[in-house]
Amino acid sequence: MNRRIFLMGVPGLAGCSRGSLRLNIFNWSNYVASSTIPDFEMETGIRVRYAVYESNEEMLARVLSGNSGWDVVFPTHYYIEPMRQNNLLARLDHSYLPNLPNLASRFASPAWDPKLEWSVPYMWGASGILYNPAIGAPPAGWSDMWDNRLQGRMTMLDDPAEVLGAALKKLGLSLNETREAPLRRAQAEALRQKPLLRAYLNAEVRDQVVAGDVLACQAWATTSQQAIDAAPHLRFVYPAEGFALYADSAVILRESRRYDLAHRFIDYLLRPEVAAAVVLQSKAATANQQAYNRLPPGVAALPALFPPADTLARGEWFATMPAAAQRLRDRLWTEIKSA
Amino acid sequence: MKIRGLGFYAVLAYFFLHAPIAVLLAFSFNSGRFTVWEGVSFRWYEAALRNSQLLEATLNSLIIAVAATALAATAGTLCAYALWKREARWLTSALTLSLVTPEIVMGISLLAFFQWVFRSFSVHLGMHTVVLAHVTFCLAYVVIVVLARLRTMDNSLEEAALDLGAGEWQAFYRVTLPALGPGIAAAALLAFTISFDDYVITSMVAGVDSETLPMVLYAIARRGANPVVNAISAMIVVALGLLVLVSERFRES
Amino acid sequence: MTRLRRLFLAPSVTLTVLLFLTPLGILLVYTFLTRGAYGGMGAPWTLENWVRVADPLYLGILVRSVLAAAVSTLLCLVLGFPLALFISRAGRRKNLYLFLVVLPFWTSFLIRTYAWMFLLRDTGLINTLLISAGIVREPLPLLYNYGAVVLGLVYGYLPFMVLPLYAALERIDSNLLEASSDLGAHPWQTLKRVVLPLSAPGVRAGLILVFIPCLGAYLTPDLLGGGKTILIGTLIQNQFSTARDWPFGSAVSLALMAAVMVLLMVLARRHGDSLL
Repeated sequence: MNRRIFLMGVPGLAGCSRGSLRLNIFNWSNYVASSTIPDFEMETGIRVRYAVYESNEEMLARVLSGNSGWDVVFPTHYYIEPMRQNNLLARLDHSYLPNLPNLASRFASPAWDPKLEWSVPYMWGASGILYNPAIGAPPAGWSDMWDNRLQGRMTMLDDPAEVLGAALKKLGLSLNETREAPLRRAQAEALRQKPLLRAYLNAEVRDQVVAGDVLACQAWATTSQQAIDAAPHLRFVYPAEGFALYADSAVILRESRRYDLAHRFIDYLLRPEVAAAVVLQSKAATANQQAYNRLPPGVAALPALFPPADTLARGEWFATMPAAAQRLRDRLWTEIKSA
Repeated sequence: MKIRGLGFYAVLAYFFLHAPIAVLLAFSFNSGRFTVWEGVSFRWYEAALRNSQLLEATLNSLIIAVAATALAATAGTLCAYALWKREARWLTSALTLSLVTPEIVMGISLLAFFQWVFRSFSVHLGMHTVVLAHVTFCLAYVVIVVLARLRTMDNSLEEAALDLGAGEWQAFYRVTLPALGPGIAAAALLAFTISFDDYVITSMVAGVDSETLPMVLYAIARRGANPVVNAISAMIVVALGLLVLVSERFRES
Repeated sequence: MTRLRRLFLAPSVTLTVLLFLTPLGILLVYTFLTRGAYGGMGAPWTLENWVRVADPLYLGILVRSVLAAAVSTLLCLVLGFPLALFISRAGRRKNLYLFLVVLPFWTSFLIRTYAWMFLLRDTGLINTLLISAGIVREPLPLLYNYGAVVLGLVYGYLPFMVLPLYAALERIDSNLLEASSDLGAHPWQTLKRVVLPLSAPGVRAGLILVFIPCLGAYLTPDLLGGGKTILIGTLIQNQFSTARDWPFGSAVSLALMAAVMVLLMVLARRHGDSLL
């Protein structure tokens, strides 16, 4: 038995040898169309191992060893700097990425990676409020998530950055606040909100809003659009006080020995027709301008996915937290949870 | 000794244990996607059987569980026997410590360990790392169960064999080991169940080609209700259940 | 015997030292490091992480986790004992009944947890039945509370109680029970005076096997509790994920293990037997 098991590891080892046509992609769930991978395999003869994750933490835990076997992963933008500092990322070679100019202009030189040396923006999104119009007056901003009338029928995301972020925005502050006093005020808001909440839920909330268990929730735009597709009466609103923006980006891991194939895959995703097909199926907002231009009007005008410029102006990008602020936020979050 | 109501209580207890699974089974035949009954259909079974990722993960899980169970049962039985002959306090303490280690801690520490190893050797995370991790956390369970069985046994039988000129190995192999059968079987069953079900540790040490069933199921289930999950769970419970029942019947006859 | 014994111990010793003690040693080293700006670890060496463990906030979480685990464990004992007793008296069908206890656990525990969520939700099966039967008007809040967490833990770990209890009960000589009843003891008296004392080792094993994983659990409490409470397992998990503070996470983990180990040592000493 022993020997057989160790032999089973051999194909995995063999797959790493230079030049073998095999590529391992680790992406968020629901981030490609059903034809994306088969078409790529057909066209290039490269065999793709494709697996999915549900959170940055999950992905990071898997690739942190530096010998995970994955080639391309898709961290959210504020994870790129930590991953780079931990020596996990490979520098991109733009000569392998002829489709890079297809990106929308606001993603051509993002603050977190101004020269796109390490990452290529893939999909972006925001967090807002998904609600059931049955609640009466539609919510306009985060402050409506402190509404006593909805006690026990609301949820917030199970993520310290999002919950503190909403509270900070409600107070008119920046999402990325690092000072203790304002963060304490935001914590007080979150503590006041907690008894009104049914739970802190991430993507799991989708089914519960569709079924009617939950009437209003803090949710990501993509999740919300999927919920709206399943139950068209639901609505999504970008909160008046401002909201969080994030971009999931393709990166190549330093451990990868297939830089050329990995670049080829990323460039393939940058093709307008490929990216547009992904948007149609996954209902995520692409960072690719050429792909956006190809979308049928019904999808390109979906307000949850592609809000107008003045709405978008209220958004703020999450930033990577300095160590002290990260620790303080974790402590505040632990206190909120133990209250 | 007859205690009234015990049978009735047992029925209730089995209901408690099986009701959620029965509901799961029932809804795997639901033609609708959500929790409303819309009619009988096999579409989720078809979908499960066509989902190559799910099938591959199931196969991986079975291979890992069988391998880890076999290795842990062997090492654990030998270890229990040796400990039964003479106690080794530090090893007992270490094994107990491994039982009290929260899964998340064991997963993280193994990940940290593999990170260190990888610095010197070019090995990837994969089936082998998962199997090694599973053997490690199954070992203590096997030792406990087998040792408990050994403690109820009379060692005069083995001493008689030794007096009659059998070697130590013969005495173990011919006399003690056969009597240990049920204990080893129980230990193996426990190890298999724990290994097959593990998510926390596996998700830390799994590589590209060793995604297990719990990992795939977790990814699917978090995206929302998906009866494919019910279908594959139903198939596994029924298949493994039949396997055990048949082997039980086989052993009786 | 020594050579054979050494040979027999070799695989387990190698495994335990290499894949359990060495990794734990690495974690122990981590506890003295400082979290870097980007979640890495490095100098300076410090005792700060251990000082933080003693913070009342984290001690409070520990106390809450111990309570939740203790309640779940006791419920497992109360629910599991009669079942184990029933199985041990079941004669020829013993194996079948025992097998039926394990069977549900071959579905992934995630699936079992989701099955409970499916039953307990507002629009779940229980509430739907209750409402359509006219027993309640508004759905009962069954999910996302302390009760749901305890329920999930009890359901998840009941077999770990039943199996050792059964092993102990099955070993009791039935002649003893007959003797007791021949001497005029009521079944309840026999249970209290004969069966319970004789099954004590099984009870102890069951308590340990259930209490410890309950204490470290994080997925079940998170999923069924809706993230509204934090138990020590979740705290540890958070340190290794969102907070990316490996040194502190390692310190909390090792502190928890040390506490549990001390508890076990005390138990073992008191009963004068070995740990396993």
